Amino acid sequence: MSEKRSAAYRLSATVAVILAILTVIEYFAAIYVPNTALLFLLAMLKAYFVLRFFMHVQRLWTSEEGH
Amino acid sequence: MSAVAANVAAHVAAHVDHYKEQLRHNRLGLWLFFISEAFLFGGLLAVRFYLWGDHRPELDQTIGLIVTAVLLVSSFTMNLAEKAIAHGDRRTFSLGMMTTAVLGLIFLGGVMVFEWGLFPAIYEGHLSPSENVYGAVVFAMTGMHALHVLSGIVFIFVVWNLGRKGNYTSERHWGVEACAIYWHYVDLVWIFFYPALYLIGTPVH
Repeated sequence: MSEKRSAAYRLSATVAVILAILTVIEYFAAIYVPNTALLFLLAMLKAYFVLRFFMHVQRLWTSEEGH
Repeated sequence: MSAVAANVAAHVAAHVDHYKEQLRHNRLGLWLFFISEAFLFGGLLAVRFYLWGDHRPELDQTIGLIVTAVLLVSSFTMNLAEKAIAHGDRRTFSLGMMTTAVLGLIFLGGVMVFEWGLFPAIYEGHLSPSENVYGAVVFAMTGMHALHVLSGIVFIFVVWNLGRKGNYTSERHWGVEACAIYWHYVDLVWIFFYPALYLIGTPVH
Protein backbone atom coordinates (compact mmCIF):
# COMPACT_ATOMS: atom_id res chain seq x y z
CA MET A 1 0.00 0.00 0.00
CA SER A 2 1.38 3.39 -0.93
CA GLU A 3 2.37 5.78 1.83
CA LYS A 4 -0.03 8.43 0.51
CA ARG A 5 -2.97 6.03 0.60
CA SER A 6 -2.11 4.85 4.12
CA ALA A 7 -1.95 8.46 5.31
CA ALA A 8 -5.39 9.14 3.79
CA TYR A 9 -6.90 6.09 5.54
CA ARG A 10 -5.22 7.07 8.82
CA LEU A 11 -6.76 10.54 8.62
CA SER A 12 -10.23 9.00 8.13
CA ALA A 13 -9.73 6.78 11.17
CA THR A 14 -8.47 9.69 13.29
CA VAL A 15 -11.50 11.84 12.44
CA ALA A 16 -13.84 8.91 13.18
CA VAL A 17 -12.20 8.39 16.60
CA ILE A 18 -12.49 12.13 17.40
CA LEU A 19 -16.19 12.03 16.45
CA ALA A 20 -16.71 8.94 18.62
CA ILE A 21 -15.02 10.62 21.60
CA LEU A 22 -17.12 13.76 21.14
CA THR A 23 -20.29 11.63 20.98
CA VAL A 24 -19.39 9.90 24.26
CA ILE A 25 -18.62 13.30 25.86
CA GLU A 26 -21.99 14.55 24.56
CA TYR A 27 -23.80 11.55 26.06
CA PHE A 28 -22.26 11.97 29.51
CA ALA A 29 -22.51 15.78 29.40
CA ALA A 30 -26.27 15.39 28.92
CA ILE A 31 -26.41 13.28 32.09
CA TYR A 32 -24.03 15.20 34.38
CA VAL A 33 -24.01 18.75 32.95
CA PRO A 34 -27.39 19.09 31.23
CA ASN A 35 -26.83 22.37 29.43
CA THR A 36 -28.38 23.07 26.02
CA ALA A 37 -25.64 25.53 24.98
CA LEU A 38 -22.90 23.00 25.81
CA LEU A 39 -24.64 20.22 23.86
CA PHE A 40 -25.15 22.56 20.92
CA LEU A 41 -21.47 23.53 21.04
CA LEU A 42 -20.44 19.84 21.00
CA ALA A 43 -22.76 19.24 18.02
CA MET A 44 -21.18 22.20 16.22
CA LEU A 45 -17.71 20.80 16.88
CA LYS A 46 -18.74 17.41 15.47
CA ALA A 47 -20.30 19.16 12.48
CA TYR A 48 -17.02 21.00 11.84
CA PHE A 49 -15.09 17.72 11.60
CA VAL A 50 -17.66 16.18 9.25
CA LEU A 51 -17.83 19.27 7.03
CA ARG A 52 -14.06 19.77 6.92
CA PHE A 53 -12.73 16.23 6.63
CA PHE A 54 -15.59 14.10 5.28
CA MET A 55 -17.52 16.56 3.10
CA HIS A 56 -14.45 18.53 1.93
CA VAL A 57 -16.33 21.83 2.03
CA GLN A 58 -13.05 23.68 1.35
CA ARG A 59 -13.04 22.26 -2.20
CA LEU A 60 -15.69 24.86 -3.01
CA TRP A 61 -13.24 27.74 -2.73
CA THR A 62 -9.78 26.19 -3.01
CA SER A 63 -8.01 24.70 -6.00
CA GLU A 64 -7.89 21.29 -4.27
CA GLU A 65 -9.23 18.84 -6.81
CA GLY A 66 -9.82 15.75 -4.77
CA HIS A 67 -9.53 13.80 -7.98
CA MET B 1 4.48 15.19 -36.44
CA SER B 2 5.21 17.70 -33.70
CA ALA B 3 2.29 19.82 -34.91
CA VAL B 4 -0.03 16.82 -34.56
CA ALA B 5 1.32 16.09 -31.05
CA ALA B 6 0.82 19.71 -30.04
CA ASN B 7 -2.70 19.61 -31.42
CA VAL B 8 -3.52 16.46 -29.42
CA ALA B 9 -1.96 17.96 -26.27
CA ALA B 10 -4.04 21.13 -26.69
CA HIS B 11 -7.18 19.04 -27.20
CA VAL B 12 -6.48 16.96 -24.07
CA ALA B 13 -5.73 20.10 -22.03
CA ALA B 14 -9.03 21.67 -23.16
CA HIS B 15 -10.86 18.46 -22.24
CA VAL B 16 -9.27 18.39 -18.76
CA ASP B 17 -10.09 22.09 -18.25
CA HIS B 18 -13.68 21.41 -19.25
CA TYR B 19 -13.88 18.53 -16.75
CA LYS B 20 -12.44 20.69 -13.96
CA GLU B 21 -14.94 23.42 -14.74
CA GLN B 22 -17.78 20.89 -14.80
CA LEU B 23 -16.59 19.47 -11.46
CA ARG B 24 -16.66 22.94 -9.88
CA HIS B 25 -20.23 23.45 -11.10
CA ASN B 26 -21.30 20.01 -9.90
CA ARG B 27 -19.93 20.68 -6.42
CA LEU B 28 -21.61 24.08 -6.23
CA GLY B 29 -24.91 22.57 -7.37
CA LEU B 30 -24.75 19.83 -4.75
CA TRP B 31 -23.99 22.32 -1.97
CA LEU B 32 -26.86 24.57 -3.08
CA PHE B 33 -29.10 21.52 -2.79
CA PHE B 34 -27.77 20.94 0.75
CA ILE B 35 -28.55 24.54 1.67
CA SER B 36 -32.14 24.09 0.49
CA GLU B 37 -32.31 20.86 2.53
CA ALA B 38 -30.97 22.72 5.56
CA PHE B 39 -34.15 24.84 5.57
CA LEU B 40 -36.22 21.66 5.81
CA PHE B 41 -34.20 20.11 8.65
CA GLY B 42 -33.73 23.49 10.33
CA GLY B 43 -37.50 23.94 10.25
CA LEU B 44 -37.98 20.57 11.94
CA LEU B 45 -35.46 21.53 14.63
CA ALA B 46 -37.27 24.84 15.16
CA VAL B 47 -40.56 22.93 15.55
CA ARG B 48 -38.95 20.66 18.16
CA PHE B 49 -37.69 23.59 20.26
CA TYR B 50 -40.92 25.58 19.86
CA LEU B 51 -43.25 22.73 20.81
CA TRP B 52 -41.15 20.85 23.35
CA GLY B 53 -39.20 23.71 24.88
CA ASP B 54 -37.07 22.36 27.71
CA HIS B 55 -38.76 18.94 27.72
CA ARG B 56 -38.44 15.77 25.68
CA PRO B 57 -40.09 12.35 25.57
CA GLU B 58 -38.40 9.55 27.45
CA LEU B 59 -36.63 7.73 24.63
CA ASP B 60 -34.31 4.77 25.11
CA GLN B 61 -30.88 6.35 25.57
CA THR B 62 -28.98 3.16 24.74
CA ILE B 63 -30.80 2.83 21.40
CA GLY B 64 -30.11 6.49 20.63
CA LEU B 65 -26.41 6.06 21.31
CA ILE B 66 -26.20 2.81 19.31
CA VAL B 67 -27.92 4.18 16.17
CA THR B 68 -25.75 7.32 16.40
CA ALA B 69 -22.61 5.16 16.63
CA VAL B 70 -23.78 3.07 13.64
CA LEU B 71 -24.26 6.20 11.53
CA LEU B 72 -20.89 7.56 12.63
CA VAL B 73 -19.09 4.35 11.66
CA SER B 74 -20.93 4.39 8.31
CA SER B 75 -19.54 7.87 7.65
CA PHE B 76 -16.05 6.49 8.29
CA THR B 77 -16.52 3.55 5.90
CA MET B 78 -17.95 5.87 3.25
CA ASN B 79 -14.97 8.22 3.56
CA LEU B 80 -12.71 5.19 3.27
CA ALA B 81 -14.48 4.13 0.06
CA GLU B 82 -14.12 7.61 -1.43
CA LYS B 83 -10.42 7.75 -0.59
CA ALA B 84 -9.94 4.22 -1.89
CA ILE B 85 -11.28 5.05 -5.38
CA ALA B 86 -9.17 8.22 -5.39
CA HIS B 87 -6.12 6.01 -4.87
CA GLY B 88 -7.20 3.28 -7.30
CA ASP B 89 -7.93 0.76 -4.53
CA ARG B 90 -11.07 -0.87 -5.97
CA ARG B 91 -11.30 -3.62 -3.36
CA THR B 92 -11.48 -1.19 -0.42
CA PHE B 93 -13.89 0.97 -2.44
CA SER B 94 -16.35 -1.92 -2.89
CA LEU B 95 -15.96 -3.07 0.69
CA GLY B 96 -16.42 0.46 2.02
CA MET B 97 -19.55 1.11 -0.05
CA MET B 98 -21.17 -2.19 0.90
CA THR B 99 -20.35 -1.79 4.60
CA THR B 100 -21.84 1.70 4.51
CA ALA B 101 -25.05 0.41 2.91
CA VAL B 102 -25.35 -2.38 5.49
CA LEU B 103 -24.77 0.07 8.37
CA GLY B 104 -27.38 2.37 6.83
CA LEU B 105 -29.86 -0.52 6.77
CA ILE B 106 -29.03 -1.31 10.42
CA PHE B 107 -29.68 2.34 11.30
CA LEU B 108 -33.02 2.23 9.46
CA GLY B 109 -33.94 -1.04 11.18
CA GLY B 110 -33.06 0.46 14.57
CA VAL B 111 -35.27 3.49 13.93
CA MET B 112 -38.20 1.41 12.65
CA VAL B 113 -38.08 -1.20 15.40
CA PHE B 114 -37.03 0.80 18.46
CA GLU B 115 -38.12 4.38 17.78
CA TRP B 116 -41.29 3.79 15.79
CA GLY B 117 -42.21 0.45 17.37
CA LEU B 118 -43.31 -0.98 14.02
CA PHE B 119 -42.69 -4.53 15.22
CA PRO B 120 -44.27 -4.83 18.69
CA ALA B 121 -43.27 -8.49 18.85
CA ILE B 122 -39.63 -7.35 19.05
CA TYR B 123 -40.02 -4.03 20.85
CA GLU B 124 -43.10 -2.29 22.22
CA GLY B 125 -42.91 1.35 21.15
CA HIS B 126 -44.61 3.88 23.41
CA LEU B 127 -44.98 6.76 20.95
CA SER B 128 -47.40 7.24 18.07
CA PRO B 129 -47.44 10.09 15.55
CA SER B 130 -51.01 11.15 16.40
CA GLU B 131 -50.97 10.64 20.17
CA ASN B 132 -49.40 13.91 21.31
CA VAL B 133 -46.89 16.58 20.36
CA TYR B 134 -43.95 14.40 21.43
CA GLY B 135 -44.87 11.53 19.15
CA ALA B 136 -45.69 13.86 16.26
CA VAL B 137 -42.31 15.62 16.40
CA VAL B 138 -40.31 12.42 16.93
CA PHE B 139 -41.98 10.79 13.92
CA ALA B 140 -41.65 13.91 11.75
CA MET B 141 -37.94 14.35 12.51
CA THR B 142 -36.89 10.71 12.37
CA GLY B 143 -39.23 10.04 9.43
CA MET B 144 -37.76 12.79 7.26
CA HIS B 145 -34.25 11.74 8.24
CA ALA B 146 -34.97 8.05 7.57
CA LEU B 147 -36.26 8.97 4.11
CA HIS B 148 -32.89 10.55 3.36
CA VAL B 149 -31.04 7.52 4.75
CA LEU B 150 -33.11 5.30 2.46
CA SER B 151 -32.39 7.43 -0.62
CA GLY B 152 -28.72 7.45 0.40
CA ILE B 153 -28.69 3.64 0.46
CA VAL B 154 -30.22 3.53 -3.03
CA PHE B 155 -27.60 6.06 -4.17
CA ILE B 156 -24.83 3.86 -2.68
CA PHE B 157 -26.07 0.77 -4.54
CA VAL B 158 -26.21 2.66 -7.84
CA VAL B 159 -22.69 4.09 -7.42
CA TRP B 160 -21.30 0.77 -6.19
CA ASN B 161 -22.72 -0.97 -9.27
CA LEU B 162 -21.26 1.67 -11.61
CA GLY B 163 -17.91 1.33 -9.82
CA ARG B 164 -18.05 -2.44 -10.20
CA LYS B 165 -18.46 -1.95 -13.95
CA GLY B 166 -15.37 0.25 -13.98
CA ASN B 167 -17.07 3.62 -14.53
CA TYR B 168 -14.81 5.42 -12.05
CA THR B 169 -11.08 6.01 -12.08
CA SER B 170 -8.74 7.58 -9.56
CA GLU B 171 -8.82 10.76 -11.69
CA ARG B 172 -12.56 10.86 -12.41
CA HIS B 173 -15.08 9.75 -9.81
CA TRP B 174 -17.51 12.59 -9.24
CA GLY B 175 -20.33 10.06 -8.73
CA VAL B 176 -18.53 8.55 -5.76
CA GLU B 177 -17.70 11.97 -4.31
CA ALA B 178 -21.32 13.13 -4.64
CA CYS B 179 -22.64 9.94 -3.05
CA ALA B 180 -20.13 10.24 -0.17
CA ILE B 181 -20.93 13.89 0.47
CA TYR B 182 -24.67 13.13 0.42
CA TRP B 183 -24.17 10.35 2.96
CA HIS B 184 -22.10 12.61 5.22
CA TYR B 185 -24.85 15.23 4.97
CA VAL B 186 -27.32 12.68 6.33
CA ASP B 187 -24.86 12.08 9.18
CA LEU B 188 -24.48 15.84 9.69
CA VAL B 189 -28.24 16.23 10.12
CA TRP B 190 -28.26 13.45 12.72
CA ILE B 191 -25.46 15.21 14.63
CA PHE B 192 -28.05 17.91 15.44
CA PHE B 193 -31.12 15.65 15.65
CA TYR B 194 -29.53 13.26 18.17
CA PRO B 195 -29.09 15.81 21.00
CA ALA B 196 -32.38 17.54 20.11
CA LEU B 197 -34.35 14.28 20.40
CA TYR B 198 -32.44 12.34 23.05
CA LEU B 199 -30.33 14.66 25.18
CA ILE B 200 -31.65 18.21 25.50
CA GLY B 201 -34.41 18.88 28.01
CA THR B 202 -36.07 17.13 30.93
CA PRO B 203 -37.68 13.77 30.11
CA VAL B 204 -41.48 13.73 30.36
CA HIS B 205 -42.90 10.46 31.68
